[in-house]
Amino acid sequence: MTSDTQEIKVLIVDDEVEFAATLAARLKLRKYSTQMATSGEEGLLAVENDTPDVMVLDLKMPDLDGLEVLAQAKSTHPEVEAIILTGHGSFEAGMEGMNLGAFDYLMKPVDLNHLLDKIQEAYEKKVQTL
Amino acid sequence: MNRIQSYFRQLRQSAETGSSFGGVNERNYKRLSFILFIAMISIALGPVTIIALLSYQNYLNLLQVEERDQLEWRLEGSITSFQSLINSVKAEIEFTADNFTYEELKQDEKLADTFYLIKRQFLFVTDLGIIDQTGLQHTYSGPYELKGKVYTEEPWFDLVFRNSPNISSVYQGIRGVPHFAIAVSQINPNNGQTWILRATIDAKKLQRFVHTIKTKASEDLFLIDNKGILQTNSITFGETLTPYDYESLLGVTPNLTINGETFFHAIGSIEGTPWSLVLIEKRYIHHQKWVNFRGRLIFLLVCCYAISCVVVYCLVKAFRKQLRKTDEMQMNMIKEAEHTNKLASIGRLAAGVGHEINNPLAIINQKNGLAEDLLDLSPDFEHKTTISNCLKSVNQSIDRCKAITHRLLGFARRTEVVMEKVQLNHILNEVLSFLENSLIHNKIRMVLELENDLPEVYGDHMQLQQVILNIINNAIDAVEKDGDIAISTRNVVGEVQVIIQDSGHGISEKNLAHIFEPFFTTKETGKGTGLGLSITYGLIKEMGGNIKVNSQLGKGTAFTISLPMIRDEDDK
Repeated sequence: MTSDTQEIKVLIVDDEVEFAATLAARLKLRKYSTQMATSGEEGLLAVENDTPDVMVLDLKMPDLDGLEVLAQAKSTHPEVEAIILTGHGSFEAGMEGMNLGAFDYLMKPVDLNHLLDKIQEAYEKKVQTL
Repeated sequence: MNRIQSYFRQLRQSAETGSSFGGVNERNYKRLSFILFIAMISIALGPVTIIALLSYQNYLNLLQVEERDQLEWRLEGSITSFQSLINSVKAEIEFTADNFTYEELKQDEKLADTFYLIKRQFLFVTDLGIIDQTGLQHTYSGPYELKGKVYTEEPWFDLVFRNSPNISSVYQGIRGVPHFAIAVSQINPNNGQTWILRATIDAKKLQRFVHTIKTKASEDLFLIDNKGILQTNSITFGETLTPYDYESLLGVTPNLTINGETFFHAIGSIEGTPWSLVLIEKRYIHHQKWVNFRGRLIFLLVCCYAISCVVVYCLVKAFRKQLRKTDEMQMNMIKEAEHTNKLASIGRLAAGVGHEINNPLAIINQKNGLAEDLLDLSPDFEHKTTISNCLKSVNQSIDRCKAITHRLLGFARRTEVVMEKVQLNHILNEVLSFLENSLIHNKIRMVLELENDLPEVYGDHMQLQQVILNIINNAIDAVEKDGDIAISTRNVVGEVQVIIQDSGHGISEKNLAHIFEPFFTTKETGKGTGLGLSITYGLIKEMGGNIKVNSQLGKGTAFTISLPMIRDEDDK
């Protein structure tokens, strides 16, 4: 748990509240600045209000599909990196996500350290682009 | 007709039966071959047999007609010869009666002279006599003692008054020897009484004459009178004066069966006599011709049958072989399709289960992780180690579940292929953009040698992306950090190849043999699903392409995907 992780603002968008909350808690423990949203709309609102560095995005959500959230977020805030994390993963959706500019595509359940690596890589990419 | 219909029904049933996989009713090849053989043989040999039978019948008829004509002609010839003989004797007797008076002939010497003159011309005349109105033989010249005999009781006596000259049937008469008489009646102008000049001829002489007009030893030629009594000896029916059984057969009977043998039988009456000439001849004068013809016909027919049988047998055998092959191919295709369907169904089910379990599993995973995190932060307490071990164990189980759900999701991949024109270079670039982050992070050196103007191929865009992604992912796993991956495309005669080569640890020969089998993996548990390469293999095969792998332990692995180039005719 590095000290500079506090700089990284992570937004978790997942309609599975228990999952999102627990993941958020674990990231907080590792000193990440963490927000969570339990729907697509909420996620987009969070992007507007407090733009994160990295989004961890679920694909299947009742109101707004993860890919739509990604597309809208990227259109207003292209600098935000997104990691797709889904349990309903299909290759086609992954490909589409990548085409929309997602940083990577991960399947649930994910090993936390693997996710943290990806968040770190995504953050580094964002910093480099800026 | 019904039999033929039922044969055809069977044939159709045989052709339709079976080949449906599942309800498996395999085609009965033996029966089909048999029916086909019979049908083809009938078509081939039916007309030949009919023609053979017709020609047999026609030739037989032709020979019979010719034979009949010949026999009739012979009978007519015999009758004519016989008639001319009798006529000349009759004329001689008539001439004698006309030229001499009763008184002259009544003298023994005169009659003897006359007899002598007649005998000179007709050696076979036996005797000559003069009989008066009362039936008394006044004068007689001949070998018997018949002078003074009375003939009123003899059958010819009455007839000669009404019908002169009269020729009698053969009878024994007073002398007791078979003979016949030629009698002429005349009226004596001096007293107005009728007298008769009578000559007799022995039946033996008649017999000799019949012999002389016979043309063949085998034929039976004889005379009968109008009452059906034999006048000469018959080979078939016996001696002179025997009653003849076949008197009802008048004219020509070409097929008379006597004692199981076929005979030609003809009766022709001789004008001016009570006789008819009978000709009986064994059938088939043209026997040798007929035997030759029949032999040739049978030989040809047998050859025809044998050749047809061999040819039809070979054809049926070849047809059966081809049919069986086609059936097997069809069966295999159906099996494959069923297998694919089954896999797709399993895939859908598996994906559903995988998806449903993944989400709660993710929650368990995170909760467990959080618990571990918090435990790490807590000071030591009783049972801390035990709880930590428990949580680790839960983690391991989650990993196992994860491996299962990911494997199940692997099944869900789309199995049907949608063919379109694709550019492999383009697909490679798409996939590489997907993997860019991973490559950079792992510090992998990527060498790309993509051929410019690479021809397009037919394939499924999405599936090809997946296939190539899968192989490059494997390569990334194999080289780990700081490795090399080389990807090249090229156009080799008739096909386009993509070669993905890594500098990884390679695959052992033993593993190489199983690399495309489902669920075969060398990755540690939880990392690989083992479905990737088997699915890859199936997809490429379905697109009409091929995938090959070369590997050497410690040096690296190269996958070569080949897809056939689009030909001009495919375009049309």
